[in-house]
Amino acid sequence: MSKLATWARLKSPWVLHFNSGACNGCDIEVVALLTPRFDVERFGIKLEPSPRHADVLLTTGAVTKQCAERLKRIYDQMPEPKFVVAIGACACSGGVFKGNYTVAGGVDKVIPVNAYIPGCPPKPEAIIDGVVKLLNSLKAPKTEAKVNDSK
Amino acid sequence: MQARLSDKVQIQPAYLGKATIHVDAGLNRDVVRILLENDGNVGISAITGLDMGEKIGVMYHMRTDGLIVTVRTEVPKENPQIASITDLIPGANFHEREVADLFGIVFQGHPNPARLVLPDDWPANLYPLRKDAKLEEVTANVENCASCSAQHEPVQLQPQSEGKLVNIVVGPQHPALLEPEKFQIKVDGETVNDVEPRIGYVHRGVEKASEQRTYLQDVYLVERICGICNSCHAACFVETVEKIMSVEVPARAKYIRTIILELNRLHSHLLLLGHAGLEIGYETLFQYMWRDREPIMDLTEMLTGNRVISSAMTVGGVRRDLSETDVPKIKTRLEALMKKMDFYQKLYDSEPSFRMRTRKVGVLSKEDALRLCVVGPVARASGVNMDVRKDDPYEAYGEIPFKVITRTEGDTFARLQVRLDEITESINIIDYAVDHLPSGPYRIKVPRVVTAGEAVNRVEAPRGELFYYVKSNGTAYPERVKVRTPTFANIPAFIKTAIGGSIADVPANFVSLDPCFSCTDR
Repeated sequence: MSKLATWARLKSPWVLHFNSGACNGCDIEVVALLTPRFDVERFGIKLEPSPRHADVLLTTGAVTKQCAERLKRIYDQMPEPKFVVAIGACACSGGVFKGNYTVAGGVDKVIPVNAYIPGCPPKPEAIIDGVVKLLNSLKAPKTEAKVNDSK
Repeated sequence: MQARLSDKVQIQPAYLGKATIHVDAGLNRDVVRILLENDGNVGISAITGLDMGEKIGVMYHMRTDGLIVTVRTEVPKENPQIASITDLIPGANFHEREVADLFGIVFQGHPNPARLVLPDDWPANLYPLRKDAKLEEVTANVENCASCSAQHEPVQLQPQSEGKLVNIVVGPQHPALLEPEKFQIKVDGETVNDVEPRIGYVHRGVEKASEQRTYLQDVYLVERICGICNSCHAACFVETVEKIMSVEVPARAKYIRTIILELNRLHSHLLLLGHAGLEIGYETLFQYMWRDREPIMDLTEMLTGNRVISSAMTVGGVRRDLSETDVPKIKTRLEALMKKMDFYQKLYDSEPSFRMRTRKVGVLSKEDALRLCVVGPVARASGVNMDVRKDDPYEAYGEIPFKVITRTEGDTFARLQVRLDEITESINIIDYAVDHLPSGPYRIKVPRVVTAGEAVNRVEAPRGELFYYVKSNGTAYPERVKVRTPTFANIPAFIKTAIGGSIADVPANFVSLDPCFSCTDR
């Protein structure tokens, strides 16, 4: 049964995109993923508007104070097992905005992160690579446990 | 003007725009009123607060005849009060609220002095842009994420009703919004009765941060205000700094900047028109537009090294030269796009579902556009002929022939059609600039320390007039950087056009204003 669940998860991960105070640079690249040139739907990845149906949370932005609680709330609403991908330098570490008075500086300050994709913004190819690497890491149950334990 | 207010005002010509008018704090309303009487098309570009030690300076940057006139006054820091001008110019509403948030100035007589950009739980009496603001504790709190560990209240699932009105809350996370922002829409049946925006979810304190970085670092900071119109931010900032230093950029650099700015406009308009297709339920249009946007991203990457954040501008020129071999690549890609534009035009003219969702939806009259001081394609779609590229030419725009697209309908369709026509104009501009590219250096060396002084500058970003004010104190760090983005100026238009319309038309109407909250909040 778990084998079937893993297979289903690998073949059709539904992703939720949340902007936690980004400059839109990463966000338009996330949207570009869905468009004809990059077309992530060929990996079964589908952009899902509701957190309650999503498997993977794609987060961009340096996490502003006003967004931090919302980000946490969205994460809590997602069903288990759930995975978080931090897209862009800001989401990884705060980027150029680190140290500003409303910026927490990184998604991992608020919720556990499974994969980091650096870049300002990362190219769509890099985002695809990151998400596919995350999916591959789920194949072996051992790795999955490792990914979850690391935070 | 001098005659009417006699010796109470001092006019300083050709300073901070066309002229600067120094007045006492009590007279700001009178001056604004006189400006309005002189010219019905006066709009407000921005209100800048400035910490001057004992006092706080307030500058009203007014737009007359396409040029900036600055009305300058001061209020004491102990008791910062000034009369609101929102009743004279409704467009000043949000500008005043922002200055009130960041500088703690009380605008007497403001209709709704609520918090606009700072977080909900921001301490009272702490105004981040004042020089003596103690922000360490707040910053540390945010970084430790003190508020996140607290148990949050359960989400209220039932929309609150107020009598007949039903309150619909859109955001902060919502499928139709790419960015986190909250709108409370009060509806009576299907009709929108009121819209209350709460912006500030993306407020990252860029203006404060830019004071702590050098001018060169700031170029990279300000272009990350917005990922879509990033080159415009960088260009506007470096031009302002060049104005302060009285540096003349080489002609080749001006042309290369123009090309990059227009590529920026192309990708932004294509992005928006595609997004508009998505919002009106026409997903094919979205996929088509974004497919055709990719070659523009390729060109940006070829010229600057990055697809989105291009980092092409620097003080004194551009960072990369345009090589001869790039020219044919630019030409073929633009030609291909030009051919596609005919297809889109045909679609705009004949597709019935598209017309039904956009025609006569969210009409903004010319009078309202002027009163609310909207900018860019939104203003041009309502018949206001304003374009910084023509009114106050910068870079190479003075030498390049192009048309300013205006329409008179003022509805959602007109706003989208203006952008569609501007794509054609942009392609022509790039074509001309590539053909007439001057030879010579593409950048000059400038000192890192900027001479003391101040300047204002404007750039026509894809969404409209982008305004910068920079004050230098003679060091390598700026004293104050003020950014007023076009989307910030266009938010009142959304409230105006949504009220009275159907709730189902809100997304189409909203997206036609081209909202971008990372710009709005900074």
